[in-house]
Amino acid sequence: MTELDRVIHEPARLRILTILSGVDVTDFSFLLSTLGLTKGNLSSHMDKLEKAGYVDVNKSFNGRIPHTEFHITEAGRSALTQYWQDIDAIRRLQDNPEA
Amino acid sequence: MPPSPDYDTLQAGDPRLIVRWARRYAKSRTISFLVQWFFIVIMVLAIGIFASLTNMAYKTSNMGLFTVSVAAMVLAIFGLTWFSVSKWGGEAIWRITQWLYGKEGYVAYSDGQGGGATPLWITALGGGLVVYHLVGALLVSFNYLHLSHMQPFSAGYMAPFLAVMIVYQRLGFWAWIWPALYALHGVLLLAGAPIGFTGQWQLFNMVVPVFGYGLIAILVGHVYSRFALWKLKRLTRSGLPGFPADEENAADEDGAP
Repeated sequence: MTELDRVIHEPARLRILTILSGVDVTDFSFLLSTLGLTKGNLSSHMDKLEKAGYVDVNKSFNGRIPHTEFHITEAGRSALTQYWQDIDAIRRLQDNPEA
Repeated sequence: MPPSPDYDTLQAGDPRLIVRWARRYAKSRTISFLVQWFFIVIMVLAIGIFASLTNMAYKTSNMGLFTVSVAAMVLAIFGLTWFSVSKWGGEAIWRITQWLYGKEGYVAYSDGQGGGATPLWITALGGGLVVYHLVGALLVSFNYLHLSHMQPFSAGYMAPFLAVMIVYQRLGFWAWIWPALYALHGVLLLAGAPIGFTGQWQLFNMVVPVFGYGLIAILVGHVYSRFALWKLKRLTRSGLPGFPADEENAADEDGAP
């Protein structure tokens, strides 16, 4: 059995990537308010997801206010799909060890 | 893009349901429509008032008032059209929406509907809507159409136009409330149902259904967005059985977005 993706197999990053997989684009404020993380934690998780190539980051300014938008990459989407396939396979194995 | 899972078969609390509620929330954020609604109400009220003035001037053969009111009506129609299609109008709506949503942040989901320039046929349909109502206003002004029949006349174009726009923009269920109620109102008026305004209030036969049902749809969408956001937050903040402890969250790290 393949090993689970360690980047995704972390509750906060799994939730972030799942949100991003469901929408076209979102920003830092939305993730912050929805997930209830601190700014530092969210930044850290987004950094890891970006370094893994799972998330694209677009930084801009609305007037003088910085605005950071995120969207999932194709690699991120594929990794998430693969992750859920692996999780479902593990669950099936737990439910039916004889199989 | 890989196929979406069958959300109906997922157990309650499954993190994959986050996708469903994130989309439902994104599709029911109706504040931008409320901003548009407000501007359009102002402009259409102006058009209606000028149409009534035109009618009054025509009946009293007051050519000075007739000329001024027709010119003002045409200006208001052009103003409405300009706001609807100009880049400036879109940017103004975006800025006001961002301000109103405040800390909630920005999220968008287009259901596969790509961005880019508005297709010509959409612009043509929008132009047709304006011309159709201008013709209606002129028919009322010259007594070819009674003011009390303006709403059913309007519904003949407005209801299918809104339906096309809802399908094209892939809006949420809430958006259908508007054309459905507007068409139903027109049918009921034609059938003689006692829901019309009479006397000096006849103009409201047009104004109240257009904006009242639009506002109902927008508010239903907004209320639903609160529910969807609540569901989304519950899903994103509940524990995930079988997952390792989130040690990285325990230590807060500084870092600006």
